[in-house]
Amino acid sequence: MNPAVGLVAFLAVSITTAVIGFYGLRISRTTGDFYVASRTVPPWWNASAIGGEYLSAASFLGVAGLILLSGTDALWFPVGYTAGYLMLLLFVAAPLRRSGAYTIPDFTEARLDSRVVRRVTSLVVVAVGWLYIVPQLHGAALTIRITTGLPSWVGSTAVVLVVCLTVVAGGMRSITFVQAFQYWLKLTALAVPVIFVLLVLAGNDTPQQAQLPVNPTGQPAASAYQNISLMVALLFGTLGLPHVLVRFYTNPDGQSARRTTLIVLGLLSVFYLFPTLSGALGRIFAPELAQSGQADALVLLLPGKLVGGTAGELLSALVVAGAFAAFLSTTSGLVVSLSGVISQDLFGGSVRGFRLAALLAAVVPLGFAFMTDTLALAGSVGLVFAFTASTICPVLLLGIWWRGLTDAGAIAGMVTGALLCGGAMVIGTVMGQGNAPAWLAQPAAWTVPAAFAVTVAVSVWTKNRVPASVNRVMSRLHVPERPVATER
Amino acid sequence: MTRVRVTAPRQAAIPAPTRFPYGGEVAEDSDVGRVFVRSLIRSQLRLALVVACGFLLILASFAVLLVFGPGVAETRILGIPLDWLLLGLGIYPVIGLSAWLYNRAAARNEARYRDLVEDK
Repeated sequence: MNPAVGLVAFLAVSITTAVIGFYGLRISRTTGDFYVASRTVPPWWNASAIGGEYLSAASFLGVAGLILLSGTDALWFPVGYTAGYLMLLLFVAAPLRRSGAYTIPDFTEARLDSRVVRRVTSLVVVAVGWLYIVPQLHGAALTIRITTGLPSWVGSTAVVLVVCLTVVAGGMRSITFVQAFQYWLKLTALAVPVIFVLLVLAGNDTPQQAQLPVNPTGQPAASAYQNISLMVALLFGTLGLPHVLVRFYTNPDGQSARRTTLIVLGLLSVFYLFPTLSGALGRIFAPELAQSGQADALVLLLPGKLVGGTAGELLSALVVAGAFAAFLSTTSGLVVSLSGVISQDLFGGSVRGFRLAALLAAVVPLGFAFMTDTLALAGSVGLVFAFTASTICPVLLLGIWWRGLTDAGAIAGMVTGALLCGGAMVIGTVMGQGNAPAWLAQPAAWTVPAAFAVTVAVSVWTKNRVPASVNRVMSRLHVPERPVATER
Repeated sequence: MTRVRVTAPRQAAIPAPTRFPYGGEVAEDSDVGRVFVRSLIRSQLRLALVVACGFLLILASFAVLLVFGPGVAETRILGIPLDWLLLGLGIYPVIGLSAWLYNRAAARNEARYRDLVEDK
């Protein structure tokens, strides 16, 4: 591929992001603006922003790559990513919005009336955020290497730089605009090349008998356990993701939080058609990418390979732009929510502290990214979901729906989940991909129930520690807002 | 315009109880209010669990169909294998429909609660 194409696309996305970010700077004035865009964002914008933030490197590059590698087994990934939002809608969206908490630690502190729970939750949230940023940076490294031939570190460093600049400059107000824009950019960047390729193929009269089930790597199919465990991780991991939760705060009330989630589900369903199509096209026309270990680059290389010429170059530029939109939007979303947590706990919640925290939140994972190797993107993000599902999910679900949760139970559950799932991840990484047994490589199926069980057991055991405020907090979470605000 | 330094009090996210919405005040005030809130929470939880279980059942039946369904891998519609169609396309409308039904029912639960509280 022509190196200039990748560079121009990257610069264009970065500059657009920065411009929207700085435009946002002019209207953000107060701490409230900075944190949550003052809750004045309409549902469609908000839903696009949530979609933009959620669709990460794993969705944009990883899903198609994984479909190329393992076929129908990989189709469970986008299903899980989308269905995770259904679970979020059912159990979390409206109550969490009504809680008035801006971050997950805010919520656990208010619900359980305990500073210690707050600290533990903050640690877990920061761990989740950092773990999740690393694959984004790996994706950026891969994209820069494949499209421009520059060394990998340029890609990850550039993403961190742009994110720091936009977040430090504008905060969440501008982030909302940036994210909404980036959802539509990502959708266009995947959809246009795929549709173009399909049209070209139809014009060439390519044999319609597609050889979809061909398995280019000869990898064995995933076992039922692996698929179930993956679904547990994705279904229950989504509702605990820190950057997703923050987004719901920009809805005016619980009812509109639900409406927003419904729109998000629609946006995600439309989006995931295209990585699936790309993966299927890759299986037919580019199986050699799987053998050479470049499956994650499939989306980037497909238009150049199948269309060629100037049209191919233009389409490639579009895809590269979309890929960088994916890295930038997810990373900046994570950085904003992490800096919310870090600045409230370390720097007293000032705007200056928020900026300092943003730097901290972005630079540490860059170090991790340099130290670790690129795994399959969708797989490593799947592990982050497993970690979230075993730590934050039990506390959130039980905190919203069960009066009996205590601070001791919450802490015990989070620590158990973090140790079990984190341990499995570390051992799995040490043993190397492919060597680790399925129950270590895909731990969610046993770590999530274990974390739930420990949370409930310890809570029941420490019944006398149920906070006195529980009735007040529970009615705050579930009672609808004043009719004026909802019936419009 | 003078520049003002704005700082966030850490507790700002959890406003004082006096700012509670309408129903919340009732819930605080009386035993009846508390019963109303409890029954609202219970009906919302039941609804969420029913929708979640329904969806998971459909998802599981998709999986079972893919593994054990006779000739699913060989069946093609417009040249596309049926298993790809089911997982890559067919499941998404189910997700959307579940979400839509849930939203309607949850709003209805809340409206019923509001009627109860206003009657009082």
